[in-house]
Amino acid sequence: MKEKTIYEHLREKGLSRRDFMKLCGTIAGMMGLEFVPPVKALGKTLGPSPEEVVAQALKTKPKVPIIWLEFQDCAGCSEAISRSSSPLLSNLVLNDIAIEYHETLMAAAGFQAEKAKEECMKKYFGKYVLVVEGSPTLADDGIYCTVAGKSNLDLLKEAAAGAAAVIATGNCACFGGIPAAHPNPTRAVGVADLIKDKPVVNIPGCPAIPEVTTGTILHFLILGQLPETDQLKRPLPFYGHTVHDHCLRRPFYEAGKFAGSFDDEGARKGYCLYRLGCKGPTTYNACAGLKWERGLSYPVQSGHPCLGCSEPHFWDGGGFYQGQSAPIVRLDKSSTATLVGVGVAAGAALAGLNAVKKSRAKKDLKKDQSQAAGSDPGSKKEG
Amino acid sequence: MNWTNILNFSRGPLLHVAMIIFVAGLSYRLVRVLLLGWARDRAKNKGSKLWGVIVNYLKGLFVLPFIPWVRRTFRHNELTFIAGGLFHLSLFLVLVFGTAHILVWKSLWGFGWKGLPTPILAFFSAAGIISMIVLLINRLTHPVLKMLTRFPVWINWLVVFLPMITGFIMARHLWFRYEVIFSLHLISVSLLLIWVPFGRISHFLFYFFSKTIHGAQAGKRAVTP
Repeated sequence: MKEKTIYEHLREKGLSRRDFMKLCGTIAGMMGLEFVPPVKALGKTLGPSPEEVVAQALKTKPKVPIIWLEFQDCAGCSEAISRSSSPLLSNLVLNDIAIEYHETLMAAAGFQAEKAKEECMKKYFGKYVLVVEGSPTLADDGIYCTVAGKSNLDLLKEAAAGAAAVIATGNCACFGGIPAAHPNPTRAVGVADLIKDKPVVNIPGCPAIPEVTTGTILHFLILGQLPETDQLKRPLPFYGHTVHDHCLRRPFYEAGKFAGSFDDEGARKGYCLYRLGCKGPTTYNACAGLKWERGLSYPVQSGHPCLGCSEPHFWDGGGFYQGQSAPIVRLDKSSTATLVGVGVAAGAALAGLNAVKKSRAKKDLKKDQSQAAGSDPGSKKEG
Repeated sequence: MNWTNILNFSRGPLLHVAMIIFVAGLSYRLVRVLLLGWARDRAKNKGSKLWGVIVNYLKGLFVLPFIPWVRRTFRHNELTFIAGGLFHLSLFLVLVFGTAHILVWKSLWGFGWKGLPTPILAFFSAAGIISMIVLLINRLTHPVLKMLTRFPVWINWLVVFLPMITGFIMARHLWFRYEVIFSLHLISVSLLLIWVPFGRISHFLFYFFSKTIHGAQAGKRAVTP
């Protein structure tokens, strides 16, 4: 039997054509598909409009099954996606695209759940998208994170083998995140460090912005490939700018007006939070544009500096409330005292050596002079 | 290797090593200078050494730089005087009153202070950079300076200029991605910190020695320093 397309599926569920087109427009906007206005397109072939591209894909393509694995994580990214600000999108992903296996969200449990996963992996071999939340661990063959008696390394390799693409969601899955923080006892790493033979895209964040995860999944569904990424494999439509670039407090930064504490006059006036440790200038994420809770707000807007949660080493990159310009490793009092001691000792030792040399040279000179005087008592040469 | 890792390295281990070399190296230099020893003062004290020192500092830091034309050294060499003075003033203002730098001091000493408005800092940092370029051209073209210049002088110029130019580009968000220029700024700062104890830039510390001794000598003889 021919598989139902997503459009057919949605129509069956009672979605009107008008709502379908609205949905396509929303998705196109979410994915950041470029709209080429007719004037700009003069001289070029005018392609279909972005929502037409989306509509065409949804009308012709069957749903993409998703297998969602969780390793060393807090399920925060799953929480975020299940409370996504765009119910249409999250419904689409959760119910229609669809997530076949998700330890936290699925109704089945135990052996039933594992069986469902195996069946899905067999049935959709080479077609499904693997989403990984949480960091895989390398220490002792990955025994520090096991599901159904299998180590996370085996689970990851097994699931990635038949995946068309791998999406790592959240800082833990992308860069190791909090489990990889110093001293990283489980040797947590990012998914991309382990999976080299499949296309991997990173959606870092703590949690990842749900619209970004859904947007990336939809990108794969609609265009058949993962979006273009930056050096850290983050999709450019969402990670192309820093939080600082689009910050609504940016004019205060430019003017040099900063909040000095969380409750001073500057903070009340909405001044820049750079002095309170904001990591916005080096943090690439879509927070300032997409925001959270249906575009209600995001940390900087709510008065808290950016923590830099979509960057590698965000847990070890200096204190959250310490200025970004401050050194990560500071010289404490005892090490400074030791260093001064070393410097002083070296200086004194060298000075001592020089003094010894000098006195020897003086003695030698005197000796020479007295010898010269002894051998020729009549002469009065200068020494 | 991506720029985020390079930034983490330059903010972390590199800067740490640079600070270690800076502190230990400067302590070493200080001891070496102090242990050179000085001759016992056998002459009678005619005036007040302390007063001489105070007057010397007040004149040298707060009076003469702002009325330079009263000095013969200025009339002979206006360009060097103005460019050099502006460079030192800019460096002082940016290092002490630049917000990003205040956060560094705060992390080191536990307290911070209010910075200057960004446009004022932008003006002075640009003035400092232009002064450095003027001084470089002067050194490259002046016949006498050319003869006096040895290789370390160029290093001195470079290790001071690089942090200034990268810092300016970073603060104005020009051309580079922030983490790239931030890394370059920190690498150049680390270079500077490593070089300072071994080069002439250590005059930022020894200046106060010579100023004090000179003032004391003048005060002892009861003459104006």
